[in-house]
Amino acid sequence: MALTAGVLALALTAAFPEALYACPVCFDRDDEARIAFLATTGLLTLLPLGLVLGTGAWLRRRARELDEEERDEE
Amino acid sequence: MSARATIIPFRPRPQKPRKLISNGVLGMILFVFVEIMLFAGFISAFVIIKSRAIGSVWPPPNQPRLPFEQTAVNTSALLASGIVLFIAHRLFQRGNKSIGALLAGATLLGGAFVALQGVEWLALIQEGLTITSSTYGALFYTIIGAHALHAVAAIGALAWAFVRLTGDRLSKEALSVVALFWYFVVLVWPFLYFQVYL
Repeated sequence: MALTAGVLALALTAAFPEALYACPVCFDRDDEARIAFLATTGLLTLLPLGLVLGTGAWLRRRARELDEEERDEE
Repeated sequence: MSARATIIPFRPRPQKPRKLISNGVLGMILFVFVEIMLFAGFISAFVIIKSRAIGSVWPPPNQPRLPFEQTAVNTSALLASGIVLFIAHRLFQRGNKSIGALLAGATLLGGAFVALQGVEWLALIQEGLTITSSTYGALFYTIIGAHALHAVAAIGALAWAFVRLTGDRLSKEALSVVALFWYFVVLVWPFLYFQVYL
């Protein structure tokens, strides 16, 4: 039953992809607006990842520096 | 005489709890991340609304143009303040406690930025740009006003640090926390300036 429903949903989305367009980006015919939507979506998606990964990398470097300092002290 | 080995109990050297970063600085970093996302949201909203302006005319007709050149002076004051604080911060981290003049200078330059922004706002209001005059005005006062609020709060923090410094009660951690907040206020401004004013 679940498999049938899944296959049916997939078939419907393949047949009518417009129904999945949930954001105004896909409907906007103006190139400038579409580019703005895509750019800001990219910014708001990648920025937090960059912040977290950047902080992680910085903390890792700092931990290595502290390790080296400890080794030098010994 | 019996050959007995002397047993020396193994006592591991007491280890200091290692701290990569102080609690205060970590807290401020997390707070700044939240603020970065807030301003990224503001800029995104601005870019999208600007891109959908009727007839691609921006600023909208009958609305005053923002004083890009005049605001360059404010921007210079803010950037100079950030540089002065950076120097003071570095000196203080190296143990030099005579940074009073630098800290006062950074605070005054930040105050000059806010004061000049106030003058600019008064002129814009007189020219008809208000928060209810258009989407343009609403966006301008929301984004630039949010930044001004942050600047005022950070100037308060800088003044607090200066008072603590004069009483020889300012710790390196406290200055780092305040400085991080000010660096955020300084560094986010060029993005707002070039996006909103240009």
